[in-house]
Amino acid sequence: MSKPKKSVSRKTRKKTKGRSGPSLMSFVFSRLALILLTAMVGYVVYLDIAVRNKFEGTRWPLPAHVYTRPLEVYADLRLSPAQLMTELDGLGYRQSAAVSAPGTYIRSGSRVTVFARPFTFWDGPRDAIRFSVDFTGERVRRLELGSGSVLDLVRLEPQLAGSILPDQHEDRSLVDLETVPDTLIAGLLAVEDRNFYRHIGIDPRGIARAMWANVTAGRWVQGGSTLTQQLIKNFYLTSERTISRKLQEMIMALLLELHYDKDEILEAYLNEVYLGQTGNRAIHGFGLGSLFYFGRPLKELQLPELALLVGLIKGPSYYNPRVHPKRALQRRELVLTEMVEVNAVTEAEVRRARDLPLGITARGSMTASAYPAYLDFVRRQLSQDYREEDLRSEGLRIFTTLDPYLQRGVERAVTQRLATLERGRAMPSGTLEAAAVVVRSDSGEILALVGGRHARLAGFNRAADALRPIGSLIKPVVYLTALEDPSRYTLATLLDDAPLRVQQRGSPDWVPTNYDQQFHGRVLLIDALAHSYNVSTARLGMQLGVSRVIETFHRLGARREIPSFPSVLLGATSVSPVEVAQIYLTLANNGFRVPLRSIRSVLTQGQDPLARYPLSIEQVIEPAPMALLHFALQEVVRRGTARGLVQRFPAELELAGKTGTTDDFRDSWFAGYSGDYMAVVWVGRDDNTPTGLTGASGAMQVWADIMQQLDLHPLIAPRPDDLQEALIDRQSGGYADGACGDTMRLPFVAGSIPAPASCARTVSKRSDPVRKQNNIGGWFKRLFKNFNE
Amino acid sequence: MNRRFFILLVLFLTGCATGMRTPGPYPQETPAPETQTAPAGPPAVVALLDDAERQARAGQYARAEEDLERALRIDPRNAGVWHRLARLRYAQGQYHQAIQLASKSNTLANDDRPLRARNWTLIADAHDRIGNPAKARAARDKAILD
Repeated sequence: MSKPKKSVSRKTRKKTKGRSGPSLMSFVFSRLALILLTAMVGYVVYLDIAVRNKFEGTRWPLPAHVYTRPLEVYADLRLSPAQLMTELDGLGYRQSAAVSAPGTYIRSGSRVTVFARPFTFWDGPRDAIRFSVDFTGERVRRLELGSGSVLDLVRLEPQLAGSILPDQHEDRSLVDLETVPDTLIAGLLAVEDRNFYRHIGIDPRGIARAMWANVTAGRWVQGGSTLTQQLIKNFYLTSERTISRKLQEMIMALLLELHYDKDEILEAYLNEVYLGQTGNRAIHGFGLGSLFYFGRPLKELQLPELALLVGLIKGPSYYNPRVHPKRALQRRELVLTEMVEVNAVTEAEVRRARDLPLGITARGSMTASAYPAYLDFVRRQLSQDYREEDLRSEGLRIFTTLDPYLQRGVERAVTQRLATLERGRAMPSGTLEAAAVVVRSDSGEILALVGGRHARLAGFNRAADALRPIGSLIKPVVYLTALEDPSRYTLATLLDDAPLRVQQRGSPDWVPTNYDQQFHGRVLLIDALAHSYNVSTARLGMQLGVSRVIETFHRLGARREIPSFPSVLLGATSVSPVEVAQIYLTLANNGFRVPLRSIRSVLTQGQDPLARYPLSIEQVIEPAPMALLHFALQEVVRRGTARGLVQRFPAELELAGKTGTTDDFRDSWFAGYSGDYMAVVWVGRDDNTPTGLTGASGAMQVWADIMQQLDLHPLIAPRPDDLQEALIDRQSGGYADGACGDTMRLPFVAGSIPAPASCARTVSKRSDPVRKQNNIGGWFKRLFKNFNE
Repeated sequence: MNRRFFILLVLFLTGCATGMRTPGPYPQETPAPETQTAPAGPPAVVALLDDAERQARAGQYARAEEDLERALRIDPRNAGVWHRLARLRYAQGQYHQAIQLASKSNTLANDDRPLRARNWTLIADAHDRIGNPAKARAARDKAILD
């Protein structure tokens, strides 16, 4: 026997023997231990990668925040002290006698002193500024700096009007650790994690203390989780409550602390923590929590407010101060007590804080749904330039044209007027619906947009999406087309309102009728528009050609393709109020087409300018026909279907407008404008049944309620040089003089003044000074051309 | 001596001609607008116009735009502000808009003949830049008539 064999066999023998004894166990055990160890190490490495990836990547998809217009204050602005204070309240300013810090104001008599916060606008930052406004009645008389010197203009910050949320519906306003009040941090640590700065992610002492508290209380009062653990749970993990989850949480907490310092973790926590809910919008982070509950930025909050926010962490719904104020107060008390325990605040400070009320704002300030119809419209405009995922995650700052004061006024006008209309017609409350768009004429900026009578609900946006027959509101388009051809049509042209039958291939004959079921014979063009006669308009439109009218319709800014049917001439096409607004905006803007817009500029999350939407106009109507149409639409108000307005507005305003009533009184429309503003209103029923309202009795009333809230300037149409006035005989449309009975003064494009009426005696005096100025030669020829028309 | 004078004369005349026809990066008007026109509007508008001018001269056109649009919100019927916006667009190379905005200014200019003339001149220059010599000529005629 050789030695090796012996040893091998001995070994083998030993081994064979060992497999059935302790050695087998230890072998298996060591193998398993190795596998387990490898698995654990692998698992920890996996967690480690997960922790770092998320912490260092884009941590949170940040919602886009949408702002109103900034209020600009200057001498002679129509603004009442109450209005200014409403704006300041909307910005979360506190009243304070001293006005010594940004975010405060005080009124004394007819003077309001304001300390405005600093703000970064599209064109750069504006420092905090302290100023006073002196009022005379409802106008600003004078602006003054804190030092006493005159201030020409001051721009307040815009209000946060809403958010465009990421898919998880989390809303946030990021804060930097440096800007967070120390008091908040002290309170947070006192209540949630006293050893935060000392532990390594998990805190055995904290757990022990919590257990003791639970045992002595006889129930569960405290967990022992550190802030780090809480952050892990909320940031990384789902809300399962299993032991394995807890273990995972602890390991990840340790790993987080390994890689990142306390300040980074704390800052992340401050921005992650869940603090409340409104609808499907989750409020995360103290930055937004402060705005949501108190309407003010975090750095302006005082001890009791900060204590309340800290208290909410444990149960934002349970302690919701708006729903359970008593619980919220008790919770705040507990936080204050704990803060005293750790000497974060003095007894005296706590006593003062205890006496103060909760201080919560009445409504969820800056709720995403404050102006849902307007926000919806903003999103549509944004989606043309930005992808949906960028809007929901990049934290863009959107500056809009929304005037919140006017918006609320328009909403009120709609609600109240609809109720009045319903009562007046014994309709059940809630039967009628409405939409309204209010626009600044020269820039196309949408100041207010109402999508329904229940403005707070994010429902059907009637302003943008309710498609209703445009009805008589299309008539100005027809008449404009005519007036652009002054050699054939003037305001004095006689139209025929006799019965009309239009044959259409493949369709029944079209037989339009007037609202009063009458036929009016020969009527002046201006009267046919002012009284909204259907038959004469239809006949005129057929003479012009439907396709020409459609061309004008598009030239005015409508994008919709419409089929070339005669019924289009009387507005059988369905459009939305916003589309109508675009068309009338071109008229209100003196023939300059300008796109409706709700956005002025966009900044990035870091306050860098990203995009601007500049003013861009296009002259699409010549001045002379535009002036004629203005005159005709003013006649609608002076003597036509909108004459009810003269009871509500002084005649000097020279308002222009058009009523619209569709078949069976299903839709009530009004579109009209002053020198500066244009508004469109629709009133009807969602189920499209008749309301019995005409344009004048329905929409026009709402329109008047809206316009009365604005500082209106008269409509002074630019008078081009080639425009002349002439006295016209209303019966025949001929040129008149004092010998004629029923006359009116009308404007005409030079050379289109009609032939004399038969009542005119002074035929030979046709060469009067007014006409001699222009076109000295040739009027004789044109005279005969008009005669033969 | 004569030749030098002749050269100087030619240079001078060339300068006169080109100075009118090809405005530089931000068209300088002769005489300067501040002395030519009456006060440009309420103090807030004047302040914004001044800042707009500063920004434009510094090449910060977007900021100048912002100022002018703010001025228009305060005083929308101020023909002078529309004219300034037209000039700004011209400086930005947006000639079509320059024409539109100058036309808009004209609809509001009423009896302000110097302003109307400046608008027509700007329109003419813009048409030149776009390559519409006939329209440019027509606009220049209007500038003279006004």
